[in-house]
Amino acid sequence: MQDLELLQEGLALMALGMGVVFVFLTVLVISVTLMSKLVGRFQPAPVAVNTGNKSSPSSGSSAQNDEVMAVISAAVHRYRSSRRR
Amino acid sequence: MDKLVTLWEGSGLYNLELGQAVMIMVGLLLLYLAIYKKFEPLLLVPIGFGGILANIPEAGLAISALDQAIEVAKPAVLQQMAAALGATLDPLANAEAWRESLKVIAHDGVAPDQVRAARDIAVGVGYSDGMLYNFYKVAIGSGIAPLIIFMGVGAMTDFGPLLANPRTLFLGAAAQFGIFATLFGAVALTSMGIMDFSLNQAAAIGIIGGADGPTSIYVSSVLAPELLGAIAVAAYAYMALVPLIQPPIMRLLTTDKERQIKMTQLRPVSKLEKIIFPLMLLILVALFLPDAAPLLGMFCFGNLMRECGVVERLSDTAQNALINIVTIILGLSVGSKLMAESFLAFETLGILGLGIVAFGIGTAAGVLMAKLMNLVSKMPINPLIGAAGVSAVPMAARVANKVGLESNPHNFLLMHAMGPNVAGVIGSAVAAGVMIKYLG
Repeated sequence: MQDLELLQEGLALMALGMGVVFVFLTVLVISVTLMSKLVGRFQPAPVAVNTGNKSSPSSGSSAQNDEVMAVISAAVHRYRSSRRR
Repeated sequence: MDKLVTLWEGSGLYNLELGQAVMIMVGLLLLYLAIYKKFEPLLLVPIGFGGILANIPEAGLAISALDQAIEVAKPAVLQQMAAALGATLDPLANAEAWRESLKVIAHDGVAPDQVRAARDIAVGVGYSDGMLYNFYKVAIGSGIAPLIIFMGVGAMTDFGPLLANPRTLFLGAAAQFGIFATLFGAVALTSMGIMDFSLNQAAAIGIIGGADGPTSIYVSSVLAPELLGAIAVAAYAYMALVPLIQPPIMRLLTTDKERQIKMTQLRPVSKLEKIIFPLMLLILVALFLPDAAPLLGMFCFGNLMRECGVVERLSDTAQNALINIVTIILGLSVGSKLMAESFLAFETLGILGLGIVAFGIGTAAGVLMAKLMNLVSKMPINPLIGAAGVSAVPMAARVANKVGLESNPHNFLLMHAMGPNVAGVIGSAVAAGVMIKYLG
């Protein structure tokens, strides 16, 4: 009798466990997809790589770099605002 | 002459019990497998050596001060301890019988403060906790070592392939079926009267199917510490055997045509996505499954250190120096659980058997899930990468790649298989969280 109970518990845990794993990973798939889309919209992948590479040496701070930064940010700003329309 | 007898009675040879001798052989076997067969040597060398150390007669390296005193102390001390434990010793029986009964009393149904009092007596007469016992208490008893290893694994993991093709997360989920099917198998064996596992023990055995060493050790340290030695040995031994266990199952379940399926090139993933992912995973864990937070929290932390790019020193330490240090201590601690009383049982055979079944079912479930996804989605998925859904990073992905190359020498699946592979790590940590929540 007790064995049957144990068996039922095992079955319940199996169903619950698989269910939770699937639900959790489904939520994760959805959020990853959404996140990738959002990131892609605000920072398209190839541009992202470029700005990442350029901005890190430019943070080495000199007067020239500030100007470059200003130009880049203006360009990015215009690009984004044009995209939203 | 008396002195000689004392010396002889204090020697290892005189005190060696059959069980200890067998366990020392088991330790040597593990060392052989590690050194000559290259079975997860990083783990099995410390585990095997720890197993030998733990079974040195009289040294008591793996037991607490109390157990040590019970085994070797003078009869007067035994009487003192019995008084502290609130038990009476039969004055007619000899010291050996006293030791036996004290051992039973100290481990079953005595109030913790009485055990503490007896322990104080043992420490007072000069017995101390064994070295390996201390290692175990600090590294595994507290749960720290598997978690630090998980952090290091996080720091070594690149989520790029997973982010490029998030649907492979389903493969990692499907492969966790091995865990739960094995849990059910262990329970079924118990109800048929073949083995004797509690539900907690069954869960800890099932997690072997997660093919993830630190997760198995963590779960069994929480749910069934008495089986930890066998479970850890089974988990690491089978991880080493992945290249032998998986291919036959993969070939059985797929046709040659399916194995030749080419997958589309993965898109490049931006750095920002890689930084956001561990944080997002952490938030989801916090919202839905706080019980998986220790494992996945450390995992995400390690991964964030890797991806954020501003703490390279920490990331480097986490994936090299720290993980090596912890691996040594973890291995010795696991070895300390390879003591004859707990390891030489019929149940150990059951654990080894169920463990390999768990691997097989997990592999099969992953492959079948990939075939199912192929039916419903437009983007082709090679079913072989489903087998990488059992974690065992990166071995399982390499196996998928190798089997794929056998069918088509120009079809490289390695990067595609890394997606389900790391998904499997997340999946088994989630499964661990569910089981700890349900049973802990």
